[in-house]
Amino acid sequence: MLRKTIDIVDENNQPTGKVAVLNSPEKRSDEWSVLLIAVGENRDRQAFARLFKHFAPLLKSFAQANRHQGWFPGLSEDLVQEVMIKVWQKAAGYNPEKASATTWIYTVARNCRIDMLRRKSNTQHLPLENEDYWHEPDEETPVSLLRQKRSESKVQDSLSQLPKEQDEILRKVYLEGKSHAEASEELGLPLGTVKSRVRLALQKMQILVSPEYRDELSHEL
Amino acid sequence: MSYNLTHHPDATMLVEFSAGTLATAPSICVSAHLHFCEQCRTELLRLDQVGSQLMAEAESAEVDDSLFDSVMAKIDSAEANPEPSVATEVKGFPHSVSKLIKNPQHKPIWKRLSASVDIARFKTGQSDFEVALHRICAGGKTPKHDHSGVEYTVVLKGSFSDERSVYKEGDFLVRQPGDVHQPMGAQNGECICLSALKAPIKLANPFGFLMKPLLRINPM
Repeated sequence: MLRKTIDIVDENNQPTGKVAVLNSPEKRSDEWSVLLIAVGENRDRQAFARLFKHFAPLLKSFAQANRHQGWFPGLSEDLVQEVMIKVWQKAAGYNPEKASATTWIYTVARNCRIDMLRRKSNTQHLPLENEDYWHEPDEETPVSLLRQKRSESKVQDSLSQLPKEQDEILRKVYLEGKSHAEASEELGLPLGTVKSRVRLALQKMQILVSPEYRDELSHEL
Repeated sequence: MSYNLTHHPDATMLVEFSAGTLATAPSICVSAHLHFCEQCRTELLRLDQVGSQLMAEAESAEVDDSLFDSVMAKIDSAEANPEPSVATEVKGFPHSVSKLIKNPQHKPIWKRLSASVDIARFKTGQSDFEVALHRICAGGKTPKHDHSGVEYTVVLKGSFSDERSVYKEGDFLVRQPGDVHQPMGAQNGECICLSALKAPIKLANPFGFLMKPLLRINPM
């Protein structure tokens, strides 16, 4: 795999070092991904401090959005700490070909959030942590992934163009941590309506693209 | 490791898996399917971008500076006392299933369920589903049965068939109450499946009650 290095700079635009980035069709050169690679490859504490400064407030806000019945505000800072510790410990496994740093950190936060809830409601030893569900077999980045030239800014644009009811349901599902069944109860809508609203939104954003998911949707409508 | 699979979890399950709201037992089944299915892994990477974007555009909350110092202190102390890593992989099996097989707190043991089916129950720390491996011997027939609760199945090794289709490694199946079926193992070798079963199965055979004690489910 071709590699090149790029300079990383601190807040005042002063160079603090160089870092190798993957030179591929889907290379990541956004600031956060470069910093995350620096943490993974060089245990760069300055890069980590900058990631912390940017992500800790977002993670805290993500934690505060959780409306799960077992969650309470005091857990929010615990979540920030747990996620940032994992970011440091697991940064070496970050693959910039697959995801941006923001998406990667979101997945760490999602996993920590579930584990904290499960540990709280369970006194038994839990043999699996949520990240165990996401363990991927060693492989080359799938061709299908490289072919899909989807930048995350497209997700951002398409998200802002969704009708209000579709945007609202995605927030409930992702930020408030509600299952589809819980969302249907809360909104007073049939489960089928919630399911198709979520899927319509994701289709419109071109997130769900596999043929069977398209078929599934057209049967239901 | 990628096959052309024809049976996948539906879109709702993938979304809940990505959002982290899918219950433990079905999550284990989805994770086992992902081990075999590149297409669903790609779909999930895109779904995760939705959660990530929603997180990134939220209004940030205030964080006290002391939190950074506390995180660095914990990082340093963890690095001074690294936890020993234990090998848990079982060749050819998904990571999550391997970890359940090697769970030091509860080693699963094969038990005879019928003439051609063995079961090994897992401990997963939840009580809604029984999560277990089923092993059907080559050419083995399972009793014809219905379910009183939903059942998720993922083929981990070999293949089996029922009245509708043939299911190969990685295929993900959902059986709803009322779906009577009679799975049969392939002739060319044993078949191992992961399953998560919500409630006891009902035997379609009128003398099925004789087998009932054997079929009691044990969520743990």
